Amino acid sequence: MIPDDPELRRALDARSGEPSPEFRGGLHQALARGRPAANWIPAIAVATVIVLTVASVGVLLAARNLAHPPHGGLVSGARTASPTTSPTESPVVLPSQAYLSAPSRDIVWAFVDYRLLFRSQDSGQTWERRQLPLGVDTGRLVFTFADADNGWALLAISPATQCQAEGAQIWHTADGANTWRLITSVAAERAGGNGIRAEQCKEFISFVDKARGFVTAWDDNSPPTIYRTIDGGATWKSSRLPDPPGFQTATGGFTLRAQDVYRLGNVLLVTAYGMQESGGKGYVFKSIDGGAGWTYTATIPSPAIAVAFVTESRWLQVILPGQSVETTDAGRSWHAYASDYGQAAPVSPQVVFGDASVGYATVRGSIQRTEDGGLHWKYIKTPGT
Amino acid sequence: MSDDGPRLLERAKAGDGQALEELLTPVLEVAFRLAMTMLNDREAAEDAVQDAAFKAWRKLDRVRPDAPLRPWFLAIVANECRSARRGRWWKVLRFPEVRSTGTMVNLEERIDLATALERLAPKHLLPLSLYYHLDLPIEEVARVLDCSEGAARVRIHRALAALRPAMAIEVDG
Repeated sequence: MIPDDPELRRALDARSGEPSPEFRGGLHQALARGRPAANWIPAIAVATVIVLTVASVGVLLAARNLAHPPHGGLVSGARTASPTTSPTESPVVLPSQAYLSAPSRDIVWAFVDYRLLFRSQDSGQTWERRQLPLGVDTGRLVFTFADADNGWALLAISPATQCQAEGAQIWHTADGANTWRLITSVAAERAGGNGIRAEQCKEFISFVDKARGFVTAWDDNSPPTIYRTIDGGATWKSSRLPDPPGFQTATGGFTLRAQDVYRLGNVLLVTAYGMQESGGKGYVFKSIDGGAGWTYTATIPSPAIAVAFVTESRWLQVILPGQSVETTDAGRSWHAYASDYGQAAPVSPQVVFGDASVGYATVRGSIQRTEDGGLHWKYIKTPGT
Repeated sequence: MSDDGPRLLERAKAGDGQALEELLTPVLEVAFRLAMTMLNDREAAEDAVQDAAFKAWRKLDRVRPDAPLRPWFLAIVANECRSARRGRWWKVLRFPEVRSTGTMVNLEERIDLATALERLAPKHLLPLSLYYHLDLPIEEVARVLDCSEGAARVRIHRALAALRPAMAIEVDG
């Protein structure tokens, strides 16, 4: 017997709402444009996994007496064939999502609508469709790229309650996302993964060059972990972020969540956000030893807005005209910044800089580019739309 | 599915957007309400339902003419909501909206059911939304959750248990 709960019904009603006429109209127009082409990637992925599994068993049996296996947990050399891009695939319907990785001023990657990966080698003027790792349609996928060729994908799978554990796969491409190789696999229910533990949800992956990379992880009850590799993802070590001033990690969700790690000059920077009784908090942490140790370095003035690291000491919070702020002393002081960045969606953009001048901001699929360090922004076409 | 349902289904499978819209119209409101309770954000809910509609279109070949459309579509919406909650900026951007009560937090506010719901994991929030908010019968809740009716009841009980300790932690904390 399930008990009635009027108070719960009222609380749920308070979160709910009716679809607006504008939304119905927008959906009507979107459906009228036609059906997107069938997505064959999952089917191809399943077939490929079966083939690779069968092939791997044979290869492993043959290799058993010839060589020792590589590092524990490392998946050896399964390179995936890439599916042919369907020429009939329909455009992504906006608004959608586009996440960016900008390893340099010219090279920028965009992962659009959680399913399409694009590369630009001319600062976003033209884009070419690239391939996803196969068999990654069952989890949360994030990317990082060190250049036009080398990239890593983190697939987070099956988080446990309160993110106490989560499985993950890390894929690598060395040919500009034409093919991908699974290099690390962590099962949620057991240890492994070349140093990446099953504990905590794996949130972001970021590589600052072809060898050095980071994976961040969090849960609802303990401080965040930042895993680091110096061998392209083959092996990983971990460290934890300390509680910054004014923040006390506690069970039940009062924990920090670290975001992407950036290298600027000789230091590594990472932002982390979390809840306290007084509301949301945001902090910047710094490492000068390659990520082995992290120290608090600044408090973020608007914890709802992401921080864009332009240089080691110059950071931005790009919000709306008249609201953006800048620091030029690594967060010790912040002042108003007359950026003309603006957009309609009432959410924070993801802002990434390829160098001290060229940067990209995206929110709900609309991408803007700056060539003067964040002062002026112009819209560029979102690939795939 | 209504008497016209199988015919609409065939047209939608053939790529007729108007037919799909007619199929989804009866379930659109309940789908949107589910997305709102899962995400507590109108724009995110609109994105989730729109994305779910297109994913449903791609998967329409798997729907049998005699199968109920509502639980099938709600399951897709629920998946979209789970993905949205795991999205890159979700946790960053929602912090101030979750707790905007300032620094003086009294006992009543700390045991606020709304706050407890905001913290509830999607795996618990979904069965509660389906049963208590959308008032779906237990057999339809089970279909959305892709489990037996008995398992659906267990999941609702577990979700209720998860909701109350979350509030107790706040009181004790």
